[in-house]
Amino acid sequence: MAGLELLSDQGYRLDGRKATELRKVQARMGVFSQADGSAYIEQGNTKALAVVYGPHEVRGSRSRTLHDRAVINCQYSMATFSTAERKRRPHGDRKSAEMSLHLKQTFEAAVMTQLYPRSQIDIYVKILQSDGGNYSVCVNAATLAVIDAGIPMRDYVCACTVGFVDETPLADLCYAEEGGGGSSLALALLPRGGQIALLQMDAMTACKGVSKVLDEVVRQHLQDVSVLTRE
Amino acid sequence: MPTDNKRVRRPEVSQSPSVFACRPAAVLPAAGPRADGRRRDQVDVRPVFVRCGLVSQAKGSAYIEAGNSKLMCCVYGPRETDRKDETDMKCGRLITDMRFAPFSCPERGSWIQGSEEKDLSLMLQESLRPAVCLHRYPRSQVEVNVMVLENSGSVLSHAITCASLALADAGIEMYDLVLGCSIRQDGASYMVDPTYLEENGCSSGSEDNQGRLTVAFLPSLNQISGLQSDGEMAEETLTAGVRTCIEGCYKLYPVIQQALAKATRKAAPPPSES
Amino acid sequence: MATVQVSEAEKVYILHGIRDDLRVDGRSCEDYRHMEIETDVVSNTDGSAKVTLGHTVVLVGIKAEIGKPRPMVPDEGYLEFFVDCSANATPEFEGRGGEELGTELSNTLYKVFNNKRSLDMKSLCISPGEHCWLLYVDVLLLQCDGNLYDAISIAVKAALFNTKIPRVHISADDEGGKEIELSDDPYDCVRINVENVPCIVTLCKVGHRHVVDATLQEKACSVASLIISVTHKGTVTCVRKVGGGSLDPESIFEMTEAGKRVGKALHAPLMKLLQQEESLGKKRQKVGFLG
Repeated sequence: MAGLELLSDQGYRLDGRKATELRKVQARMGVFSQADGSAYIEQGNTKALAVVYGPHEVRGSRSRTLHDRAVINCQYSMATFSTAERKRRPHGDRKSAEMSLHLKQTFEAAVMTQLYPRSQIDIYVKILQSDGGNYSVCVNAATLAVIDAGIPMRDYVCACTVGFVDETPLADLCYAEEGGGGSSLALALLPRGGQIALLQMDAMTACKGVSKVLDEVVRQHLQDVSVLTRE
Repeated sequence: MPTDNKRVRRPEVSQSPSVFACRPAAVLPAAGPRADGRRRDQVDVRPVFVRCGLVSQAKGSAYIEAGNSKLMCCVYGPRETDRKDETDMKCGRLITDMRFAPFSCPERGSWIQGSEEKDLSLMLQESLRPAVCLHRYPRSQVEVNVMVLENSGSVLSHAITCASLALADAGIEMYDLVLGCSIRQDGASYMVDPTYLEENGCSSGSEDNQGRLTVAFLPSLNQISGLQSDGEMAEETLTAGVRTCIEGCYKLYPVIQQALAKATRKAAPPPSES
Repeated sequence: MATVQVSEAEKVYILHGIRDDLRVDGRSCEDYRHMEIETDVVSNTDGSAKVTLGHTVVLVGIKAEIGKPRPMVPDEGYLEFFVDCSANATPEFEGRGGEELGTELSNTLYKVFNNKRSLDMKSLCISPGEHCWLLYVDVLLLQCDGNLYDAISIAVKAALFNTKIPRVHISADDEGGKEIELSDDPYDCVRINVENVPCIVTLCKVGHRHVVDATLQEKACSVASLIISVTHKGTVTCVRKVGGGSLDPESIFEMTEAGKRVGKALHAPLMKLLQQEESLGKKRQKVGFLG
């Protein structure tokens, strides 16, 4: 690996984390009032915003309607100022189309779409600041937004990226580590059943870490809501 | 950005020789008569030549020439809307499209509609919209296409006038004609119906009150249907400018009326007495 | 923009309220809704700001890049505006749906800044005819609840205030060519003078009166509105009528006067707030979207 030493001899990474340590996760649900569900998440310096609209009638061509379940429609976009070098277009390029497709596949596996036949659920994710692990942060944000919208899911979907340095897995890569060579893998997981929604990798422990944090956030939010409703 | 492969494009980077010419930057003289002999601070619009119905295939058309600015406008419709999902059951749609011919400006333009043209199209739409009885054309659309053949200043205001004339020529029901007029404020003085140089040249005098203003006006209803300005002006100057523009529109009114009456008479000659 | 359906009875209610200078949410005709401003929210940018006005949320990020000056004005830098109407605001903006509104908004921003006083473009020049700073002002609409223009202009002003352009030194190399050196110290940067940057005030004509900062319901009752961009001195840099209706000349004059008054009053508290936030420096608790 040229240039950067991703893991020091003492076992610390570039930003001082240990190999399996996650970045600081902060999240908030119900950021916006107009959308049916919304959530904001920060994982280190990667910041994402997810908004859910629906379930509602299928927009556009009727031929997309599915008679036994809901259509999941995802759009992934990045703010033009989110990366170090300015992006010319927020969406519509190949990478974001691929990302949108991955998100769609992930959430088709997790959302109980059969409860809403002939309808559509829109999940829009926006990266406000990108510092590695965009896919996993998006999935985590979208999960919170779907929960905020009150759409039943089989389980939380938690995602995490993993990279390897000489057989040592590094959890939750930042941008410098992603670009530092070596393999990195993203994994979306339904933690309760241990089912994998997108990709398999032996990084379960890290993913459980994320799920724990997500779980806490959801619980906390639920607690807040219950406190509010009681008053 | 879609590129048009069918046309021969210029090299990626090329510039008009005028950029390199060692000419003094176009500076407007601060006083005295204007380059074309018109007076400053007077509602002195350029003489206009207007004619209706020159494109036989369009439902209505008009051509306007003011000084060297030449524009033509075609109106198509009312016809079924293109976008079925946006069909409005109560009200028709007015679609405007304004373009510069590539050779119309000192520097060659592109065939593809740029953001300036999109902006002008929007302004045109917003200026014409209040005058057209769109509720008479439910579920249909009326298309207005304006092509600027030669840009010699005040294109938007003449486009508005030309388009309203073409709409009237097409027999689209309207509350009133829409007339456009623009001014260029240069310090304490102003120039009505500025030419291209007057519009874009920089001032020699003070930096206060430098601006451009375009007004679209419905003369018999006394309503302003479009207003746009840029540059920097004091509020009082702006208000005075709007008043001047309205005056300019009134000067244009009889000419446009005559042209329309002439076209109508030609299309449907009065029954000969026999 | 969540589409609002306003019934005839509701319209009459709103109209009568505005006639008596009392709006549905208790404001008078020239009041703004609650506004929140936070600068320096995206660390990947050179300057950023988030503005919340009612339920409208706008995020502006500014990136400075080195480019070539335009041949017509070789000694000036320039601004590039881009407004991204993201699908987050409404599903209608998905794909290319938001482009039309985006161009409309960015074209207006170009007009607002199309004068010599708003920003000192000469200060953005590095070496005449060769290099200049170009500022990419990217606006991101996250939620629309009426009055986009005002929220965007305030966010742009706040973000410009927050912008830190790295200082550059030009040194001649051996062959007589020029070389640009970026300062090593990240804190060695140039700020932009935003004193003359205008703010947009949108006045919505409802009935015989006009209101500032209209909500979507109020906007549905109005046929036309006037946007006016006003500097702190009260000069007007851009006026534009938007909407499908027409306006009486007299009411336009009234509206410009009101716009000037409201806009002028907007600048002082805004600047005070920005300076206050700036003076806190590192001590400031960053809220962002977590608050």
